[in-house]
Amino acid sequence: MKPAPFAYERAASADEAVAMLDRYQGDARLLAGGQSLVPLLNMRLMQPEAVIDVNRIPDLDGVREDNGHVRIGALARYSAIEWSPIVGARLPLLSEIVRYIGDRQVRTRGTIGGSLAHADPTGEMALAALALDATIVVQSPTGTREIAARDFFLGPYFTVLEPADMVVEVRFPHHTMVTAFAEHARRHGDFCVISVAALGEPDGDAGWKTVRLAVGGASHRPFVADEASAALSNTALEPDAVEAAGAACVEAAEPSDDIRASADYRAHLLPIYVRRVLDQMKARRSQGAT
Amino acid sequence: MTQTLIDVRLTVNGEPVEHAVEPRRSLVDFLRHDLGLTGTHVGCEQGVCGMCTVLLDGEPIKSCIMLAVQADGAEITTTEALNGEELHPAQRAFKEAHGLQCGYCTPAFILTSVALRERGLDIPREELKEELAGVLCRCTGYQNILTAVETYLAADD
Repeated sequence: MKPAPFAYERAASADEAVAMLDRYQGDARLLAGGQSLVPLLNMRLMQPEAVIDVNRIPDLDGVREDNGHVRIGALARYSAIEWSPIVGARLPLLSEIVRYIGDRQVRTRGTIGGSLAHADPTGEMALAALALDATIVVQSPTGTREIAARDFFLGPYFTVLEPADMVVEVRFPHHTMVTAFAEHARRHGDFCVISVAALGEPDGDAGWKTVRLAVGGASHRPFVADEASAALSNTALEPDAVEAAGAACVEAAEPSDDIRASADYRAHLLPIYVRRVLDQMKARRSQGAT
Repeated sequence: MTQTLIDVRLTVNGEPVEHAVEPRRSLVDFLRHDLGLTGTHVGCEQGVCGMCTVLLDGEPIKSCIMLAVQADGAEITTTEALNGEELHPAQRAFKEAHGLQCGYCTPAFILTSVALRERGLDIPREELKEELAGVLCRCTGYQNILTAVETYLAADD
């Protein structure tokens, strides 16, 4: 199981990387952490003409605060995000979710930009970007543009990125919401069968003003469950509201059968995980965690 | 198809290495076939089993899903770096706790543990399981591996 031959290019800047992508006209792949790409190359599921290594591009891996946002460079490794004090303080949901990605070895190498561009429908990073309302900054040969996470993912391994586009940064707005996350995987560290993230803004003693649910693994792409979120906003997360949200998630989902679970099983799990994640959110609120 | 070879210069177990490699050469194949360092094992070749774990600049990675050309300029540590007159403290802990049976996964567990110890954290057993989850063992059931790693992390030497 060895890759088919390919040309190896090393980009010294994002400008150079997108110029190379442009030159290969869709037959080149960017190599960042390689934790998804290299297995695909090894299995010859991908046989690009060229692999463009972007790991040497300087200043693309920072985590910094800027004007109400946390800006994370596309080359930031999962471990760096996991251990970042800024992420821990500002984006505890991201700190929590990143620990579910792969294992220590994978997190040493895997990058946030690579993960989003790869767009695995079960990917935790894509779910975090959606749940946290991130903006994805994309560079092309003609300039940079910003894409909201909810407009970014189109389908399995399929995004709005054009062949000569490169993700260069992900921006997460600060928030003060209580957050929670739960996922089901067949084995520890495996791709998830289903995952749910919740954010809620407390209101009064036990009420919740805005609640947002994001769901992974239950459709061809991760999604923000708008109907379910609406069913939970301005409630105290009473059992009937939670049940309505679970039903709305199932309604919005388009689960499919694959090697890890059947569509029916995913639909069965979804309301259960919605309830669990909301219970966790409530518990964290009462513990004073945000 | 003949591939253009690319020169790589890196440090492997403290020694400078220069070699010309095909771009598609994985780091683990480079270590085993080009350098003869067969202590790093190959399992799944898709980044799942962790047998090929080595340290890249001190951090554990799976060398089957990193290209050798990417290691240019890097410092790689394989299990051979632990060779000496006496057993390395991690090796001794695995021996004493019976943390291995067939031994195929052992270099990967030991290198992962060495990196953990470098981080200098006091890691409870539950978190230790998380940290070691990237390496599979099909013999032991993991309990003795956990005990070995705990012993090693707590040891004074």
